[in-house]
Amino acid sequence: MSKNVTTLLRELFAEHELEKFALQIEEQEGRIRLSGSVDYWEQVVTAGHLAGGIRGVRSVVNEITAALEPPPPYRAPVGNPTVIGEADVVIIGAGIVGAAIARELSRYQLSVIVLEKEADVACGASKANNGMVHSGIVQEPDSLRSRLNLRGNALFEEVCRELDVPFQRCNLAVNVFKEEELFLLELLKARGEMSGIPVQLVDPTELTALEPALSPEIKGALLAPTTAMTSPYQLTIAYAENAITNGARFYLNTEVTALEQKEGALTGVITTRGSFRTRCCINAAGVYADRIAAMAGPPEFTIHPRKGEFIIFDRESAVEHAAIATGILELARDPYTKGGGTMLTVDGNPEWGPTAVEVCDREDTSVTAEGLNRLLEKFSPLLPGYEARPAIITYFAGVRAATYIEDFHIAPSNYLQGLIHVAGIQSPGLAAAPAIAELVLEILQEEGMVLLEKESFNPCRREPPPFSELPLAEQNRLIREDPRYGHIVCRCEQISEKEIVDALHRPLPTLTLDAVKRRTRVGMGRCQGGFCLPRVLLIISRELGLPLEKVTKSGPGSPLFSRRTKEPLPRKEAISR
Amino acid sequence: MNHEQIAVIGGGPAGLAAALAASEAGADEIVLIERDRELGGILNQCVHDGFGNLIFGCSLTGPEYAHRFVDQLPQHPPIKVLTDTMVLQLKQDRRLKAVNREGAFEMKPGAVILAMGCRERSRFQVMIPGYRPAGVYTAGAVQRLINMEGLMPGERVVILGSGDIGLIMARRLTLEGAKVLGVFEILPRPGGLTRNVVQCLHDFEIPLYLSHTVTFIHGKKRLQGVSVAPVDHLGKPLQEQERFIPCDTLILSVGLIPENELSRSAGMIIDPSTGGPRVDQDMATSVEGIFAGGNVVLVYDLVDEVTRAARIAGRAAAHYVSGVKRTAGRLILQPGENVAALVPQQLSLPLKAGEKINLYLRVSSEIRDAVVTLLRQGKVIFQKKLRIVRPPEMVHLQIESSLFEDLHDGEEITCRVTAQEVNQN
Ligand SMILES: Cc1cc2nc3c(=O)[nH]c(=O)nc-3n(C[C@H](O)[C@H](O)[C@H](O)COP(=O)(O)OP(=O)(O)OC[C@H]3O[C@@H](n4cnc5c(N)ncnc54)[C@H](O)[C@@H]3O)c2cc1C
Ligand SMILES: Cc1cc2nc3c(=O)[nH]c(=O)nc-3n(C[C@H](O)[C@H](O)[C@H](O)COP(=O)(O)OP(=O)(O)OC[C@H]3O[C@@H](n4cnc5c(N)ncnc54)[C@H](O)[C@@H]3O)c2cc1C
Repeated sequence: MSKNVTTLLRELFAEHELEKFALQIEEQEGRIRLSGSVDYWEQVVTAGHLAGGIRGVRSVVNEITAALEPPPPYRAPVGNPTVIGEADVVIIGAGIVGAAIARELSRYQLSVIVLEKEADVACGASKANNGMVHSGIVQEPDSLRSRLNLRGNALFEEVCRELDVPFQRCNLAVNVFKEEELFLLELLKARGEMSGIPVQLVDPTELTALEPALSPEIKGALLAPTTAMTSPYQLTIAYAENAITNGARFYLNTEVTALEQKEGALTGVITTRGSFRTRCCINAAGVYADRIAAMAGPPEFTIHPRKGEFIIFDRESAVEHAAIATGILELARDPYTKGGGTMLTVDGNPEWGPTAVEVCDREDTSVTAEGLNRLLEKFSPLLPGYEARPAIITYFAGVRAATYIEDFHIAPSNYLQGLIHVAGIQSPGLAAAPAIAELVLEILQEEGMVLLEKESFNPCRREPPPFSELPLAEQNRLIREDPRYGHIVCRCEQISEKEIVDALHRPLPTLTLDAVKRRTRVGMGRCQGGFCLPRVLLIISRELGLPLEKVTKSGPGSPLFSRRTKEPLPRKEAISR
Repeated sequence: MNHEQIAVIGGGPAGLAAALAASEAGADEIVLIERDRELGGILNQCVHDGFGNLIFGCSLTGPEYAHRFVDQLPQHPPIKVLTDTMVLQLKQDRRLKAVNREGAFEMKPGAVILAMGCRERSRFQVMIPGYRPAGVYTAGAVQRLINMEGLMPGERVVILGSGDIGLIMARRLTLEGAKVLGVFEILPRPGGLTRNVVQCLHDFEIPLYLSHTVTFIHGKKRLQGVSVAPVDHLGKPLQEQERFIPCDTLILSVGLIPENELSRSAGMIIDPSTGGPRVDQDMATSVEGIFAGGNVVLVYDLVDEVTRAARIAGRAAAHYVSGVKRTAGRLILQPGENVAALVPQQLSLPLKAGEKINLYLRVSSEIRDAVVTLLRQGKVIFQKKLRIVRPPEMVHLQIESSLFEDLHDGEEITCRVTAQEVNQN
């Protein structure tokens, strides 16, 4: 087979005008390694995808470089070998995946440490995604993505209930605009049914009866009612907090720089803050998972970053927007917004996106003018009565950590005993997260780990309800208990001082402005913090005992101020009679 | 539930003027509700001078201007002040819900005056692409940080938008030792008042780039720089001429919008061209018993005009609670050629004899030797010549009500601003 794959790939390269680059191909037991140099990043990605698309290929290491589009230089951080901790399991990365695994492991008599390079959990893809708990209809039926999506969707509601995170079934309408595309819906329906997903075909009349905001131009739709929405960063935080309550330890601002081994077995993990002794490490490092893998031996797979941009709209405009989520199915698909659609976040804001753009920089979370226009042009026809542009309140982008196989890569390392990769977790990584954690536990057991349940495990975590949504009498009771409830700091989202103070003193440290934002919604409304920013900073500074000029937006390197002008003048007492 | 006669929401210059005017007009129970620690609104952070030329005939700083009003409060026992109190909700029947450190409470006053001011537009509302690093601020936030908290946002600064607050901050930052690399304005003309362009930019040799915009925000953690480019006549950036400016701070002065969450929740009609509620000559909104004054109605250029408009609202609310209402229909004022915004949007009938009507309008484009015309069914009923009209400078006209004497309920009056006809002979 070895020869066949290489020959086939050479032919494919020729078809895609890549032969002139004389790329090297190495193949061994379905593992491909590519190297050489091309002109553009797009060609790098094409070569990788051609290799990954060949039947029987299990992994692709793509070391081709783009001469004209080099990725930004990678500055390897310096590790500190001083031993500062020890655990049965060390998890690298506190995204939704790392946090979910930590929480599931905290059920057992094990010590668990999570290492995260950023100043908060959910700083990678887990904060910048749609928050959709997919039904699973769009996944290739026999992929790991499909299997774990289905299982994840089934587990999700219970997880959100235990952790007190919003979860709303929203339904999804996949629409077609042309008669001749109706058969696509039939295909999708068949695929869904094959996987046992509840689906329903509807005609335009039924569709507009269900959702009057949708365009009368739509020729038909497939409904996937098990589709739901959650808050991805709140869920990550909740998983982390619950894991901590049950004994797990999180180290923020701690970047893994190397793995230590002895005779083919893992012995420790070195980070910028010190090293941790362990015999088991889970690689849940998102877009950097391939770099972590390469710390153990030869590279095992390559992550190619795929950016997705979103637009968030004013909550007040939601009345003109569809309540169910939507998508569009087309024969001629725009490769830059493959999927994507319109939906309402769990906070009630309309949300459109994402785009899909291959980028060479793993941290390219920039939003481009083209991306914004593409989203507005693509999705406006779905909702003819919705005035999108004036309702925009923010936009952002996330990066998917895709492998060239375009499936999750969840398996023990080929080279180092004790290292388990949970990599290639692109969409639907959020929807699948509870199932991914389940699978990782199974793998650990197969690898010989003994999981003994802990009697003290508490699966529940409670989030106080937003003050602004409480009835008057309840608000009064709380204000009597603590007058800071009566001091509203964020006017757009109506967040009180007490809620901000509470967010700063939770099991997981909250160290930055963005971290406070993700926990309280402060500054997430239509003024985007223009008004409350100085006020929130004062509270953070006071509560954390940090001088104001030391408060950062998102951790080291993101100071908000350059210096003090002078000591502020003493304030006049408030005038009130 | 309390039943104050009049509740004023917002204790900035508009709220202060409205409360005082209502008291002078005889209202005997007025509650002035302010979310901040102190009265004065945005003026508290405007430490520069230039306030009060019209009303006091001298140039005051923002806090001084505010205190001219705050100091009068002790002579007005009907006015009760609640600071640190935020109104969370307002319903169509004037029931409002507020909260402070003592508790949450509801009241249903006989009249409500909205004076919530305005807020700044964010980078997202003007769709600037790029990253979301630290170091991108609105001009108002910077004003507060420097003037009230004593913190410098950064040292190498680019300012987008030439609104007045941006211009004033360019000067302030320079005085505090930062380097302002330039002010970039997408329109071919400055957005702020001429006096601010001269005093804040020219005097400090800060370059102003007209027909330019910021096309990208660079930097993953802290701002590293911005891309800027000139724009064509449609405002589209010319990509070939894009250039990178290293800087650590980007300040946005891209416009103010009336703060109208409460107005919307009360179900009133918002005029898309002003962003504020539709009002009549009494500053009465489309919801019975709810009046509005100041920047919540229209973003005025000068605080003096804010005060004047709010006084009208205060007086009218006092008359309203004492039973004086206009119930004979209304005339509609329509913005016509070259009028971008017009307040009031309607005149409620009957008009009183000798009543003076204040019209505020903003033009869409600059005209020298202009003429403002009011038309009724195509016939000119009023004209006034103006040497120059410019979009950043609001036009204020006072008109005698006698002009509208024989107009009937439902009739429309169109207002346009055009060039004066050149005399042919
Ligand atoms: C645009 C977009 C839209 C999406 N929409 C959906 C959706 O609607 N539904 C859905 O189910 N999925 C969606 N996804 C996918 C989902 O967001 C991801 O699958 C999921 O967030 C992956 O979680 P993770 O924990 O693997 O990765 P991440 O959240 O990226 O976490 C990895 C963490 O590892 C840390 N790390 C990396 N290197 C190191 C190191 N050396 N030392 C320490 N820490 C390190 C990183 O800082 C990061 O916090 C979307 C993704 C994108 C980008
Ligand atoms: C950042 C900024 C800077 C400015 N700088 C200048 C300048 O330099 N020169 C100039 O001439 N003009 C300036 N202006 C314009 C200025 O707003 C007006 O001249 C004037 O202050 C408007 O008066 P106001 O009372 O309508 O609004 P504001 O002064 O904004 O007062 C509104 C008040 O209402 C309160 N409020 C709002 N909502 C609620 C609620 N729900 N409950 C209770 N209280 C509430 C607010 O706290 C505020 O105190 C600036 C405006 C802004 C936004």
